[in-house]
Amino acid sequence: MKQAEVLAKLQEVFDGIFLQKVAAKPELSAADVEEWDSLMQISLVIAIEQKFRVRFRLGEVEAARNLGEFADLIAKRMES
Amino acid sequence: MPDRPIDDAELKSLALSGDAAFWGHLAARSRQAATFSELFFLSTLRKKAKLHASESVRPKLRLALIGGYNLYPLHELVEHLLAIRGFECERFLGDYDNFVSEILDGSSPLYAFKPDLAFILPNANHCRFSGSLLDAVEQQREAAIGAADHLLNLARTFVARSGASVILANLALPGDLDLGSFRSRTLGADWSFRKAVNFELGLRAPAEVQICDVEFLSARRGITAAQDARAWYESKQLGSPDFLVDVAQELSHLIAARKQGPKKVLALDLDHTLWGGVIAEDGVEGIELGDSSPRGEAFKAFQKYLLGLSQRGVLLAVCSKNDHARAIELFEKHPEMVLRLEHFAAFKANWDPKSDNLQRIADELRLGLDSFVFADDNPAEIEIVRQFQPQVEGVLLGPDPAEFIGRLQAGRHFEPRNVTEEDLERTAQYRQERRRTEFAASITDMPAYLASLKMRGTIKEFDPLDVPRISQLIARSNQFNLTTVRRPETDIQGLLKRPGYSCFTMRLEDRFGDSGLISVVIAKVEGDVFVLDTWLMSCRVLKRQVEDEIMNEIFRLANAASCTKVRGIYLPTPKNGIVAGIYEEFGFVRTVDFTARKEFELEVEKYQMRSTKIHITRRAYEAS
Repeated sequence: MKQAEVLAKLQEVFDGIFLQKVAAKPELSAADVEEWDSLMQISLVIAIEQKFRVRFRLGEVEAARNLGEFADLIAKRMES
Repeated sequence: MPDRPIDDAELKSLALSGDAAFWGHLAARSRQAATFSELFFLSTLRKKAKLHASESVRPKLRLALIGGYNLYPLHELVEHLLAIRGFECERFLGDYDNFVSEILDGSSPLYAFKPDLAFILPNANHCRFSGSLLDAVEQQREAAIGAADHLLNLARTFVARSGASVILANLALPGDLDLGSFRSRTLGADWSFRKAVNFELGLRAPAEVQICDVEFLSARRGITAAQDARAWYESKQLGSPDFLVDVAQELSHLIAARKQGPKKVLALDLDHTLWGGVIAEDGVEGIELGDSSPRGEAFKAFQKYLLGLSQRGVLLAVCSKNDHARAIELFEKHPEMVLRLEHFAAFKANWDPKSDNLQRIADELRLGLDSFVFADDNPAEIEIVRQFQPQVEGVLLGPDPAEFIGRLQAGRHFEPRNVTEEDLERTAQYRQERRRTEFAASITDMPAYLASLKMRGTIKEFDPLDVPRISQLIARSNQFNLTTVRRPETDIQGLLKRPGYSCFTMRLEDRFGDSGLISVVIAKVEGDVFVLDTWLMSCRVLKRQVEDEIMNEIFRLANAASCTKVRGIYLPTPKNGIVAGIYEEFGFVRTVDFTARKEFELEVEKYQMRSTKIHITRRAYEAS
């Protein structure tokens, strides 16, 4: 799956979780969104793992610096 | 409870539009939430909606969470689940795995926070048997006792230093396959050692330390779903996100239950609830009950469960639309009935609305409707009761008798912190009360009736053996309770030998049976004034002259303490109106008259001892 496709599906996750409208763009990071605290982080990871049917390995999510890198990680985990 | 669960989108729009209906739906959904994602969604909505709502004026609960795990984000979940139960909190989060020094160091921020309650969550992985698998079992058991005592001592130290309450979590068991079947042949394996520690924790915990059974919660969800190695390595979490929800649900339930009065009565429908089918249509022979069919067996099991509740002190009552005589006939004649008429404290089978019958049962038992739970298979009946008697908790049993016990338990209304002798006797006592009432109806002259009861009273200073019952009465009495001061059991222990205090109880028995310990008085000697801090009485013994004997004893003790006057305090609540005028009835004069506090005084020498029909066999601070 390409990054753009992943981002489109991430937009659906965001729309279900964030109360405000948050656009799923590659350069987005947690610091840009008021609602995105560490509680939200846990919730997002759970929702994303369910949506894409993946399981991230230890430390992987933390290493992604923005949504683009996170989307690439999702794509990678969907393949392996 | 709102009649149907509402979906996420509807709830979100209610929250964002500031609709007041949001809060009821939020509470109902939150109580049932079992996954992190759902609870997180609900918690976020609450925060958004709260921006519209006015700030509550209730005092906040000062809650400290400390332990061997990261308590973030557990605290957010707990805070949300307490908020939907009406408790806002001010919280303190201990540093990760720093709870031992936080407790032992009297100058730590934990104490500076001045908590009302602390939750201690020890790290299960730190609790290991340090010896060898081959060590003698006795040695391993000693080590488990030592580990349990270590945790209990920390909890005790915290209580002694802070004066706050404490809830101590026990240990989740590991789901490792390690050691295989050998793990059950030793207490040295992590699995069996922690199990042993948990047993010792529960059995050795003093009354002031309440245990949060994390082992049970993890078993209930399933250990492999509860544990989460990634969450531990990444952020030192206790378990999987969903398991945090289980612990938060349990903790907030335990905390809320400490603050709310317990439920005392379970009112039950009959048809499709205690048996399958309808008496009026199927007849006594046609109903489904007993071991001959799977459904009949489930109804019988439900009755057995209810019998167990009644033996534990929950009062059962029938509240059913039925023909009275036929309902009675079924209880008397059906061979598979587990519950018999004697197990019910009240029996209303007629064609009046159930909300009216519930009121009648409450009047008969002299208990408030807020101590009632009503269980019915029919959603319409639950809804009617919810509308007309909103204080009553409804439990919808639904269409499947296999689920009845689980659905009733899910409300968590009847979980005792302590079981006292009185609990075990309670239904019998209410039955005696019914016989007394019937007997009274046959005698028109009140003094003659009282004399014929042959009452005997025992008055006694606080006794260590009575502490659980005293503490229970202090927690449960609402109506005949002058000040409604609630006291934890530790406070009552502290009053046992405290100089400057006169504390006594009264027991009552008569020809119909023993009513047990039914009144508590706590008085403080302030110079020459005998101040009545607490006076409460079980409403079962109203109009039996117990008040007169209590007042006689108060003045006798005031005199013995060289006091010249007695001061009574009345703090009005929505429930204690029946005692608003009691001091004046005894000749006291009102000296303080605020809306929220009234005080009354009477000189010791002016009090006239009242004569009663109760034979007092013993008085306080006197050998029997």
